[in-house]
Parts: sequence; structure tokens; C-alpha cells
Amino acid sequence: MSQTPEPGGRQPARRPGEAIFAALLLAGSLALLWQAWNIAGPSRLSAARSVPVAATAVMCGAMLIVLIQTLRRPRPVGAHFRLDILPGQVVLIVGLLIGYAVLLRPLGFLPTSALFLLVAIKLLSRGSWLRAAWIAVVSVLAIWVIFRLVFTVLMPQGIVPEGQIVQLLRDLFAAAPGGGAR
Amino acid sequence: MDALLAALTVITQPQLLLLVAIGTFAGIYVGAIPGLSVTMAVSILISFTFSWEVYSALALMTGIFMGGVYGGSRTAILLNIPGAPSAIATALDGHPLAQRGEAGMAIGVATVMSFIGGFVGILVLAVAAPTVAGFALTFQPRDYMLIALLGILLVGSLSGGSLTKGIFAGALGIVIGAVGMDPLTFAQRFTFGLPDLRGGISFVAVMIGLFGVSEALIQLRHVDKQAVRQKITRILPSFGTVRKHLPLALQSSGIGVTIGALPGTGGDIAALLAYDHAKRVTRNPETPFGEGAVEGLVAPETANNAAVGGAFVPMMTLGIPGDAVTAIMIGALFIHGLNPGPMLMVDRPEMFWFIVGTLVAANCFVLLFGLTGIRLFVKVVEMPRTVLIPLILILSIVGAYAVNNAITDVYWMLAFGVLGYFLRLYHYPVAPVILGVILSRLLDENWRRAIISVRESPERFFQQLFASPLSTVLLMAVILIFLSQTPLPRLIRAQWHKLRSGRQTG
Repeated sequence: MSQTPEPGGRQPARRPGEAIFAALLLAGSLALLWQAWNIAGPSRLSAARSVPVAATAVMCGAMLIVLIQTLRRPRPVGAHFRLDILPGQVVLIVGLLIGYAVLLRPLGFLPTSALFLLVAIKLLSRGSWLRAAWIAVVSVLAIWVIFRLVFTVLMPQGIVPEGQIVQLLRDLFAAAPGGGAR
Repeated sequence: MDALLAALTVITQPQLLLLVAIGTFAGIYVGAIPGLSVTMAVSILISFTFSWEVYSALALMTGIFMGGVYGGSRTAILLNIPGAPSAIATALDGHPLAQRGEAGMAIGVATVMSFIGGFVGILVLAVAAPTVAGFALTFQPRDYMLIALLGILLVGSLSGGSLTKGIFAGALGIVIGAVGMDPLTFAQRFTFGLPDLRGGISFVAVMIGLFGVSEALIQLRHVDKQAVRQKITRILPSFGTVRKHLPLALQSSGIGVTIGALPGTGGDIAALLAYDHAKRVTRNPETPFGEGAVEGLVAPETANNAAVGGAFVPMMTLGIPGDAVTAIMIGALFIHGLNPGPMLMVDRPEMFWFIVGTLVAANCFVLLFGLTGIRLFVKVVEMPRTVLIPLILILSIVGAYAVNNAITDVYWMLAFGVLGYFLRLYHYPVAPVILGVILSRLLDENWRRAIISVRESPERFFQQLFASPLSTVLLMAVILIFLSQTPLPRLIRAQWHKLRSGRQTG
């Protein structure tokens, strides 16, 4: 993804939205500089704010140069923001991710993940719902077994009584060698 | 003797050896699948292994690192898509070889050469690191500050083309790392009055966002591209082939280790330089370079694996990461309560030797797995991305959540994922951001120590910079990188040419 200048030393055209993005970053940098300047403490070189002020000042300076360089390059031709920068799939997946993050706590890990995979795979691959559902369920189960049981990562439980299932599995395995004697 | 025993830990404990094997195996596939990167895999894995015992976690992650650097070569040869940046040079001659029907031979040579390069790198690490660490104990706070700046600058200038964008990214990382309570004065920095921000932003969330989610989002843009099938025959290269190219392999290894050890430069640059070197020293290649020269495959593959050992030198001895992957490895060590730097070598030498042993084991597994399992490999690479990408995203979310069991970390991760998507799209390098985050605290602390030690007097600070040769050299390096990116060198060169031509005519 390196930027290759076009033959003849001409600057490549900027991408749609590039100048706006640079401007936004500059605005954000300025806001952070203001924040850094207002960090409490004495105004000494060793104060809590010295490195933050220096770093945000560098951000502002660098972004100013980048913005000027970007504006000097020719406007984009034949490229559209919707197609080249934010195609439908990306918007869709980011939307699904936000939905996932919101639902994770109330619904729990298992149902939310299955739902996410189902919708994402179905809409991206344009295959049948059945195929998507099959892949979603198998992968969620695999992830759950690997991460809940092997890595012992605790995910939000939500509506599925995970703890009881794990306990049940443990009992089952503990009981098996002895032929079910308890 | 103790060192040898510590290095052998990995072999004496079957469980650790198994973890290295799993890591290397997974690393090869992760590195091979275009769109999945080692940085992505290691950053997601950190969050899953943080509750583990440190040896196990390191065994797994070192394996992934080593396997991942090699794995990129497979797709470079078969599909002409480098699975990782370090395999860009491999594709130049590797893919033409595959097109001629010699894919198996190409993969075999790449594997054996990676193995040789990997060993040279580890050897240098084992010999050089204790010496460098001993030297580093004499470093002053200002030297650490300068080395940290140098690392961020180098990554910024080399990874993306535009140094200005790299500097911005590095500074952004430093700011992200500074968020939260200041450890010295308890002043709140960039917390915006939010209690959630007082503890800072979890760097694992930043890492997974920038390297996991944003890469997955970029991959969504090419979701419809199909993989190409390739038939693979004989894979084990003949002994003659290996012996013939051994001198070149050793030279490239030297280049790889050196470049890998420089802060900010990693396997990708090492591979390209080695490729260039091979082109210069090979007088009469059997096949011209770019059309399937074996030399063009040998050089980058030895160099990028040799760079792994090299990259561990500054990481273990100075606590300064060489590139994004080592930055993440440093993060992993932090999480396990280890502080990479010269004191680690003094306090916990067994940890260092354990890592050396793990690297050796991982390197052997690269050879083993590299020469087998081709059929499975082709299947995995052909796994549809429409399934792969949603799975990566789920893993990213689980990973971000798992570290602190906090949903806030998931939100941060998503925010950085979207930011990273735009940064990548508009050619801002993201690696300096993560280096900045990791080095923020080191930079801040050492700056304050340095300036307090001269009683807040900038004049004396500058005097001291020029009083010690090390500080002077580091400062010069920082200034040179700056100047190299401005129009100044071009003006000087033009002036010089004018002078010279003037003298010739006159």
C-alpha cells in the first residue's frame, strides 16, 4: 500500500475524503494540545504535562504539513467516497460490530456471537441461510470450547446458563472413568 | 551452565515444547493467509494468554512469531500475494518459479533457507545480547529517551513513505500511552473527567483495534477475490542446491541480523536489502532475477528469518522494540510482570535463555512443518474470506474483552479499529502508533529523570548531550533522520553536482 508517484514526477491525485480526514486529524490534535496544556501541575520542564504538550504539539505541526501537502495534490477524479473508501460491506460490518458490542452484555457471548456470524456470513457470501447458520453454530461452539475451557476466558454470560453447563460437563467427565459411580 | 539449562527448559518440558509446536504451526498458517498477519495474531493472543504462566505464554507467542515470518513466503510463491510484508521480496522470484511449475522446489528452498537464516539470527542474539545489555547498564536516562525517539522515527520513516505522517502517528501513540493518571504526580492526563479513563487506555485494546479490526475491515474490500490453485510436487531441495547457495545464505543472514537489530527496521526491509545484495553479487544467475532466480529466493528468505533473532536484541536488552511485532511482544512481557531492558538480563537471565531456547525449537518446527502438510495448507489458504473475516472480528472482541473483563475496552478497540481503517486507507503508517504507546511511559519517565538531574536547566541538558559520545551519536542519528526527509539532502546533492561539473569544465 505504498504511495507510488506517477511517472513524470506528477503527484498522485488524493483519495476521496483524504483532505477532510487530514483536517479532522488536525482539529483533533489541536483539541488534544489544548487538553495537554491544561493538565494540572507546576509549569516546570519535568511537570506531568511536558511530554503530552510536546507530543500534541508535534501532532499539530505534522498534521499541518500533511494537510498542506494533501491540499496541493490534485483533486480525485473518477473515484467516489462511497465506492472507494467506504464500500457497503465495510459500513455493514462496522454497524454489526456496534450492534455486537451493545448486545454482548445483556444477551451474553454465545447468542450474540452466533447472531453476528450468521448475519455477517450470510450477507457477505450471499449463500443460503442454512449454510451461514451451520458455519455460525459450529464456529461459535469451537470458539467457546477453545477459549472458555482451554484459555479459561470468562465472557459475559447473558441469558445462557454457561456456568451450569460447564459444571455439568465437569461432572460428566469426573464421573466417566468410574463408570458413573458417585 | 545455568544458561544452557534454562535454554533447554523448553525441551525438557513436553508441554512447553507442544505449545511451541502449536504456535509455530499456527504462525505458518496465519502468516500465509493474506490478510492475517503475525501482529494481528500475537496481539489477539496476548489477551488470551495473560492468565497463563509466563513460560507457556512466551512459548506460544515465540512460535507464532517465528512461524509467521516464514509463512508469508508460501503465499508469495504460490499466489504472488505476500502473506506478510517480509515476504514482498520473496514474491519477486518465488512466484515466477511457481509459474514454471517449480513451486515445490521453491517452497523447499525457502523453508531450508529460513531455517538457516533463523539459526544465524538466534546465534547472534545469544552472543550479542548479554554484551549489549552490559553496555546498556551504563546508559543515562537521556540516552533511553533518545533511543526511544529514534525507534519511533525509524519506524515512521521506513514503514509508510511519508515521515511526516509517521511522526504524527508516533506522537499520537505517545499521547495514547499518556492517558490516565500520571504515575509521579497523580495529575490526570487526557481523562476528560471520565473515571473510566483514569486507568489509561488498555494497550491491548489499541493493538487489537489497529492490527486486528482495521486489517479485517481493509480485507473486506477484497472479499470477492479468488485464490489460485497450484499443483505441488517434489518439495525437499537437494543437498547440492542448499550447499551451492550457502555462501549467499550466510551473507544474507548477516544483513538480516544487522537490519533486524536496528530499532525500527524489521524483516521486510532486511529482505529487500538482501535481495538487492544478491542481485549485485550474483554475476551469472542461471535465470535472470525477476524471472525465477533461485538466488532471488534464497536471499530474502534467509534475511527475514535472521532478522527475528536480530529484532530480539534491542527488545531484550534495551526494552526498545524493533518493529510492530516486537512492540507487541514487549507488551506481552509487560503483562506478565517482566520489564524488558538491561535489568531483565541481570535479574532474570533464565528468562532470556528460555526465550533463546524457544526460538531454537520454533526454528526446528519451521523446518518440520515447512516441508510437510502442503495439501492441508492449500485448503486453509482457500478458506473463504467471507467466513474468515467475521471470525477474526469475533476473536478480536473476545480478546479485547478478556484482559480486564471490561466492555469499555471493546469500545476502545472498535474505535481504534475504525480509526486504523482510515489511517491505512490514506497511507498513514500504524506501526509507529503502537511503538509510541509502548514507549510512551519510558520516554516520559526518562525525560523527567534527565531534566531533573540537571536541575531543570535546558542549557546543562544540552551540555550533557554533547559531553557523552553515546548521547551525541544518538542525537545526531535523530537529527539525520529528520533532515533526510526534508528537501535539504536533494539541495546539497544538486549543489555538489554543480560544483563538481563546474570544476571539471573549469
